[in-house]
Amino acid sequence: MHIQDGVLSPVVCAATGAIALGAVSYSVRRLKQSVGDRTIPLTGMMAALVFAGQMVNFPIGAPVSGHLLGGVLAATVVGPWAGCVAMTLVLFVQWALFSDGGLFSLGANVLHMAVIGSWGGHAVRLFVQCFIGDSRKGIVIGSVIAAWVSVMAAATLLCLEFRLSWSPSEIDVSKFFTLMVSFHSLIGLGEALITGVAISFVINQRPELIEWRAEGRQPPDGPRNSQEVRRLTPASSPNIDRVNPVNTTTVAITRTLAAGLIIALAIAAFLSPFASSSADGLEAALGQLGISEFNLTGRVPGMLKDYDKVPVPIAAWQTLAVSIAGIGGTLAVFVLAWLLGRAMPAATQALNSEAAGE
Amino acid sequence: MCHRWPPLAKLLSAIAMILAATCVPVAHPLIGIVTCGIFFAHTLARIPLAYVARRLLFFWPPLFLMAISLPLSQAGQKGWLLFVTIVVRGTLSFSTALWLVNVMPFDQLLATLRRLRIPDVLLAILSLMYRFLFVLWDELDRMRTARAARLFRKPSLWATWRSAAHLVGRLLIRALDRADRIHGAMLARGWDGRSRWIEQPREDRP
Repeated sequence: MHIQDGVLSPVVCAATGAIALGAVSYSVRRLKQSVGDRTIPLTGMMAALVFAGQMVNFPIGAPVSGHLLGGVLAATVVGPWAGCVAMTLVLFVQWALFSDGGLFSLGANVLHMAVIGSWGGHAVRLFVQCFIGDSRKGIVIGSVIAAWVSVMAAATLLCLEFRLSWSPSEIDVSKFFTLMVSFHSLIGLGEALITGVAISFVINQRPELIEWRAEGRQPPDGPRNSQEVRRLTPASSPNIDRVNPVNTTTVAITRTLAAGLIIALAIAAFLSPFASSSADGLEAALGQLGISEFNLTGRVPGMLKDYDKVPVPIAAWQTLAVSIAGIGGTLAVFVLAWLLGRAMPAATQALNSEAAGE
Repeated sequence: MCHRWPPLAKLLSAIAMILAATCVPVAHPLIGIVTCGIFFAHTLARIPLAYVARRLLFFWPPLFLMAISLPLSQAGQKGWLLFVTIVVRGTLSFSTALWLVNVMPFDQLLATLRRLRIPDVLLAILSLMYRFLFVLWDELDRMRTARAARLFRKPSLWATWRSAAHLVGRLLIRALDRADRIHGAMLARGWDGRSRWIEQPREDRP
């Protein structure tokens, strides 16, 4: 997933770096304001956890194995700001310790995995929770969908960066896009599966670690230490759910914001194939009019003479492949989300009805 | 001898080398000079060639996977041209970063970053992360051993994924509990939310 130096052009590196810098410094500022002095050990630990969690192998085939990315997981557990900072530090340490990723492309990597992963993932999860509710089921389903959408959005953004990095004569982005979306549809499915299973495991084992944060509440006033919470309330006790009532105004604003961001992400993730193919049409039209240098054919005949000799099996399937990757991936993710959500204990319903009964 | 350079000089020279490696066109003869320069830096720092080769063996497959998607999607020469560009530039910048990793210990990097006015909060989190990274690694290793000890036959793919995801979840729980304990310990030692740094011993002077 890491972009190496040399893949993107210096200008694109600078631009993504500037955007990432802005986003991360905003996160740091929010982090300074929000919680007390507990933030620093918590965020540091979360960063170390994501780093270690990426070492856990998920076998795919015999030699190939995938791993967790962790942006959505971090955002679900410690919130979007701390999650973004943690992911940024993970990417930085991966460069500084293992020279994994690049220095100049650090901005792009941060943008893809930390900002989209944490901010975007958080927004997607909140949006999904608008429909399903803030129950445990909602958290799990929301994070599964968020994981998939964030990976697809990152892949789309990568294609955009590619397009800006290399001149159109050097690269045909729409085909590249097809390939990237197909790859990342699978990667996103893996990420969604890992994130969903891990989060539902934590919720089953220790619900108090995730719930108050995932539901967008303020941290409980009384017991700040999770062990204290555990000591004070038996595992099955519903008290934790009512430690602090939800601040409805804040939640409403958050939801509106989340909806806006989601729509943007959805456009990025699903409408881009059409956008890029129509952009190609635009380029072709411009080339025919002789306005631009986009169209190389006919001007440099020698360079493209073996164009047809290289078989490109997916070329004809381009639009179809994107659609299959998109629709198939979406369906698979929804089935996955539904299954994982179904596996959540019925305690949530009992809790809700109990709370309603009061 | 690179090891004794002032930290900022190491960082700047690494940045300069990466900049050179990513900006010079691959077909240009200058790329040979850049390659020689990076190689020379490695020799100067006495980094064993076998080590670099071993790291490159781990580095190449993902880069290759990323770069191969270009010839696959771009017909004709231009895909392969991009492929070569990306592989060459990636390899060169990776080698440079490897050089920096080997001549610059992490605490020196932290001190340099602090001198570059990176926010204190970020550095505090970073140093905490670096401190507990290896602790969590060991923890993960123990959990992996425990899992391996309890597996008598090869589990199905789904079971492997499930147990690996549970491993991540369990590690998360342990990490959060540890964060609470660390926070308690920090409070007990007078933590007030401000980070204080012990001035680094001047190891950059011989």
